[in-house]
This record gives sequence, structure tokens and C-alpha cells, in this order.
Amino acid sequence: MKQFLRIFSLLFGLSLLLYWATPTQAKSGALDNIKKRGYLLWGSDAEGGAPYIFPDPKDPSRLIGFEVDIAEALARELGVSARQSQNAWDSLIPALQRGDFDMVMNGIEVTPQRQTKVLFSIPYYIYTEQLVVRKDETEIRDINDLKGKKAGTLSGTVAQDILMNLGSVNVRIYAGQVEPYEDLAIGRIDAVLLDLPIAAYYGKTNPRLRYAGEPVGEGFYGIAVRKGDDDLKIELDRIILKLLQSGELKKIYEKWDLWNKAQDKLLAGVKDTSGYSDIEASKNAPVRTFFPMLLKGAGITVLISVASMALAVTLGLVLTLTRQYGRPLLGRLATSYIEIYRGTPLLIQLYILYYGLPNIGISLSPVIAAVLGLGMNYAAYEAELYRAGISAIPKGQMEAALSLGMTQRTAVQRIILPQAFRIALPGVTNDFIALFKDSSLVSIIAMVELTKTYTILAASTLRFFELGIIVAVLYFAMSYPLSLLARRLEERLKGKSR
Amino acid sequence: MIRIRGLHKSFGAQQLFKGLDLDITRGEVVVCIGPSGSGKSTFLRCINGLEHFEKGEIIVDAIELHSIRKVRPERQDLEAIRQVRLKVGMVFQQFNLFPHMTVMENIIEAPVRVLGRKGEEAYRDALALLEKINLQQKVDSYPDQLSGGEQQRVAIARALAMRPEAMLFDEPTSSLDPEMVGEVLSVIKSLVNEGMTTVIATHEMGFADEVADRVVVFDKGDIVEMGPPEEIFSNPKAERTKVFLSRVLKR
Ligand SMILES: Nc1ncnc2c1ncn2[C@@H]1O[C@H](COP(=O)(O)OP(=O)(O)O)[C@@H](O)[C@H]1O
Ligand SMILES: [Mg+2]
Repeated sequence: MKQFLRIFSLLFGLSLLLYWATPTQAKSGALDNIKKRGYLLWGSDAEGGAPYIFPDPKDPSRLIGFEVDIAEALARELGVSARQSQNAWDSLIPALQRGDFDMVMNGIEVTPQRQTKVLFSIPYYIYTEQLVVRKDETEIRDINDLKGKKAGTLSGTVAQDILMNLGSVNVRIYAGQVEPYEDLAIGRIDAVLLDLPIAAYYGKTNPRLRYAGEPVGEGFYGIAVRKGDDDLKIELDRIILKLLQSGELKKIYEKWDLWNKAQDKLLAGVKDTSGYSDIEASKNAPVRTFFPMLLKGAGITVLISVASMALAVTLGLVLTLTRQYGRPLLGRLATSYIEIYRGTPLLIQLYILYYGLPNIGISLSPVIAAVLGLGMNYAAYEAELYRAGISAIPKGQMEAALSLGMTQRTAVQRIILPQAFRIALPGVTNDFIALFKDSSLVSIIAMVELTKTYTILAASTLRFFELGIIVAVLYFAMSYPLSLLARRLEERLKGKSR
Repeated sequence: MIRIRGLHKSFGAQQLFKGLDLDITRGEVVVCIGPSGSGKSTFLRCINGLEHFEKGEIIVDAIELHSIRKVRPERQDLEAIRQVRLKVGMVFQQFNLFPHMTVMENIIEAPVRVLGRKGEEAYRDALALLEKINLQQKVDSYPDQLSGGEQQRVAIARALAMRPEAMLFDEPTSSLDPEMVGEVLSVIKSLVNEGMTTVIATHEMGFADEVADRVVVFDKGDIVEMGPPEEIFSNPKAERTKVFLSRVLKR
């Protein structure tokens, strides 16, 4: 039986590996499937996704956007209805390959690298990259003035590649489209380079911001389908062409204020996707060329984890002492702090700290916000561990210390805390390991640590598998020694009381 | 040296002491006996401020410990208690040695931290104390490496290192194996012979008879009788004393 289980789990593991390693080959007749099913399933990311696809401000249960309009037109022509499937933008392509939906339409730039992974329809929009700066900006006239400046963009976009290739630009990479413009407005960064539709919606409408220079880097948005689904691609091409000729697409773009002269080339059927070659070259590079970036990310992860743990351990101690021995009012405050921080998600705390505080005039740098956010959150957990440690110490210890004439303060310092720490230590070490992994959450506040480095590299090279394994190994290499340490401490404490 | 007047103490609604009086003169050895739960420990704990009490007064060498408030005591209350504790050392039934410190560290911790004595000096004194109780070879041991009798002897040395003027012992041998009782009692005996003012709660009647200047009999929170040991043990007057003694001596 045991033998059987072992073989079974081995086979199961192998098949899982194979499942990940090879893109799902679509069965023939993708088009027939859609028609039989009665709806077209399209993947996109509605989170902060205006004007592509986003919740209607007037009725947030409804999704609107120019791509919603296009999807509906496509479905209508196919004789079915359109259904959107929500997915993080970074991982739309892998999700498509996994078979989560029929197609992806979400401002996906047609690049040779992506073309090796999926099939693209003919372009449905020609995007350009628009630089946005603050109204009072005097030094940055166009993209060539960015040297030494902080420029924000979205993860995995062509704009990111352009900024990276300029060299000596301090590139800040965000996961959402709202945040870079927010940070630009309050001065955390100096410029934002993003696709024109995004700039038009978030940049142009902000009274504190303006466009700088002409748009650069013309490229195409295409609809991605799985390799092998040629029938679907051909049908989509036919429909897009029809919508272009009938003027329906133009009407949609005009409705969203996205029509410009560049779009004329759509009808001309431009197929040229050159201009990426130097950027693309790096995408086929051997894995080892990514190591410097990954190691830098790992370094930042370590830095943030160590700094926030140091804060957590100290602040946790202050909280515990206030709660156990402080004046009643302060003690209640400390208790409330602990309950509030343990009872709300870390993610929300980080958002409030970084994006919320500027509303009341406090603007923290990403590193400070990350360390404060993680440290203040974990302090609540450390405080609980110390409390458990203190309450595990027999009452007689404090009485013996007091009977020797010690003040309560000395007794706590010299007798109670050293023993409580010993009891709390394994838990604290475990929390350190957990914090290591939770540190990936700070990527939402524009910190490029290890996880963020991974999603950036993976989204632009689409090598989710091999990079993912490497990053997992890096995390493991950092946390496993801590685990060993925690276990050794635990065993030592079990054997002896000192 | 220790003067107790009208001591009232209750635990919640349950009243234990309803006005105890006792005077202990310098150099006197007072032994408290009585059934379990009669209030011996609580009495000792009141004297060095580990229990608060509602009414009455305790005066230790001119320092007054009046009804101490348990909730939010004032700074000067806390300081008065501490001054009393510096004069009166205490030894507990459970030893309460600090498990994270060696024997030596246990003994010199308070002299150094509280009295501000020099480490070297405190170390020398501690060594002398350990020699007296014949534990000098254990200076670097941790409490969990010692037998119960050894631990209690170290606890006594720890209290003595503060050079108190009086000592309180709360059933110092009750959690010891029988073969270790003797070694601890002989340490206390030699201390008593040096003239230390001492209050002991114990169930060792032979020992009480031997060392006590005065025996105090507790029952249900009352002091039912007190007097020299020969009188209490051979000619008790109170009925409750007779009942108690007959019960212990039968064993
Ligand atoms: N912390 C406490 N809370 C409530 N009741 C207590 C507490 N300590 C002692 N008592 C009660 O006070 C009485 C006297 O206890 P104690 O002084 O320990 O007696 P003894 O030491 O003579 O055995 C007992 O009835 C005991 O239950
Ligand atoms: Mg007792």
C-alpha cells in the first residue's frame, strides 16, 4: 500500500509538472466550441483598467470600457454573447495558455516574444507611449530628459522596456495604472510613461498633470488566442476588418476619445512589428543573465524583512510592557492597537500607509512605508507572543524578585523578560519566516523586491516556469536556515528550562 | 521590630483576618503553626507587602505599611514597601530561584542591582555565604541542576546576601523530599543561633519546639494562642490548639 502511494504521488507530481511545462494544446474547433457554448469567454483585468475595461462609476456592478464595446461587437458577429473573465494583467497570457478563456483582449502589445507563445489577430488599435509630468515641471520636455529622474510605469509593458533601455533612469514599476499618476502628482516620482489610452484617462484628466512631448513608440494591440486555435484567429481577423470598414470601431474609439490619426494605418493593414529587436534579444537570453536583477530583488527582500522585523520586535515589546505594566488607559490603547492590527488585512494597512496618508499631507517613501507597514503589523503578533511568554512564568518569580527589594521595573527587566523571551523565541523566529514571505506584499507600493522582480521579468519574457522555480529556490534558501534555527531553539527549550 | 495592629484582610467577600495583633522583638524567633489554610502564608506575605490588606497597620523598624491600596498605589506607597522588603528577607516554599541564572548570579543579582554593590565585592560575599551552606562547588550550576534541598539553601543565601534585619520563612521544607529536610533546617538553625530576627511558618513540630522563642497558633485566620513552645506543646490552653496538635502528632 505504501509502495503504491509513493508511486502514485510520484506520477501525480510528474503529470503536474508536465501540465505546467507544456502549454495546453487546444483541441480542434475552438470556434465550434464557442458557438456551441453560446458565449465568448475573454480574459482581461478590470482592476484600475480604465479606459480599457473598468467598473462603471455610476453602477460598479457593470463593466465598461472600449474593449468591452469591442468584445460585444465581436460576440455579436459570432452570434454569441460576450463574457469577461477577470485575471491579473501580468498573468493573462499564461492563463490563456492554461485554457482559462478563449482569448485575451486587454491592451496586449503585439511583440515577437509574445508571438512565440500565442497567436495574435490583426491589430485592433495602434497605441503610442505618452510621457506625463507635473504642470510645474521645467526640466523634462520629452523622454530624452529622463536621465537621473524617477519615472513610473506599469509592470510588463512596452513602456517599461523603453524606460529600461534608456539607461540611468530610475524606473519605478507599479501593478496598477492609478498609482503611478497619484505618486507623480504628489511628487514621489518625476514622470510617467504609459500607453496613450491610459495617459488620456488618468493623466490628462488630472489638473496637476500635463503631457510632455510627442507620443513615442508606436505599436499594436492585438487579440491573443491559443496556438492551434487558427480557426478562431481567422474569424476574429475577418470581424475586426469588417468593424474597421464599417466604421464601427472608429465610433467606439471616438466615444472613448481615443481616435487619432495614427489609427488610419489600421485600415492600411500595417503588419510591421519591427523595432523591438534589441529589446527582444534580452528576452531569449540564458537564465543566468537575470541573476543580477533577481539577486538585487532578494537583497531588497532581506533588507525590508530584517528592518521590519527589528521594528516589530521592539515595538511589540513596548506594546506588551504598556499592556501588562502600564497605566490602565495606555494599556487599553496598546490592546486596541494589537486587536486592530491583527484584525485587518496587511494589504489594507499598506494601502492606507502609502496611498492614503498623502491625502492628509504625509507622504512616505516606498522603503519607509514598507518597513513601517510590515513592522507595525508584525509588532501586534510579537506583542502577543511576549504576552504568552510572560504569562507562562510562575507568579513566584516576580514575588521572589520583589522580596529582594527590586522595583517592578528591575524585576521585569532582569527576571521576567529574559525568561519570557526564551519562551517566545521559537514563535518569533517563525514569524520572521512568515514576514519574509509577506514582504512580497510591499510590491503594491512600488517596491521592487524579489517577488516583484519575478513578476516583472516573467511578464516580459513569459518564462513563468523557470524563473518561478529560481525565485522559489531563492526564497527557500533564505528561509530554510531560519527554520532550522527555530527548530533547534525549540528543541533546546524543551530539554531545559533555562 | 515588627509590630502588627488590627490587621484585616479578606479575599473577595471572604474575610480571613479580623484584627490580628502581634509584636516581634529584635532577635526573637517566632514560629507560626496551624492547619493548612489557616492563614500563615498570608500573614507572612502581608508583612513584606506581597499581599495588600484593607485595615490595620504593620510597622517594620519604624516604616509604616498601612492599608496599602492594591489598585493604583502611589509612588511613596511602593517605595515604603520596598524599604520594608530591604529589611525583611523572605524564603518561599517553592524556592523561586531564577532559572536563567547560575547560583552565583542568583545571589549577587539583587546586591548589585538594588544595593549598587560592586560586582567583585558581591561575588566575594556570595562565595562566603555559599561556603557556610557548603555549596561553594555549585557556584556555576543552574537551579535545575540542583536537588530541592540545595535549591532551598541557595534561596536562603540569596535572601541573606541582602543583609536583612529579619527573615521570613514560609514552609521552607514542605516541598522537599524527607531526606533533604534536615540540611535546610540546620541552615535555618545556625542562622537563628546568630541572633537573626525570624518568623517561620512550618509543620515541623520538633523543629518548632527546638528553635522557637514563641509559638503562634493560627486557625481559620485567627491567632488562637501564643506562648513559649514548652507551654504550647505540653500544656495548650485553647481547644483548637489541642485538636490541631493531636491531629499532627498522631501522624
Ligand atoms: N490569592 C488568594 N485568593 C483567594 N483566596 C486565597 C488566596 N490566597 C489564600 N487564600 C485563602 O486564604 C486562606 C489562607 O491561606 P494561606 O495563607 O495560604 O494558609 P496557610 O499558609 O496557613 O496554609 C485559605 O482559605 C486560602 O484559600
Ligand atoms: Mg501556606
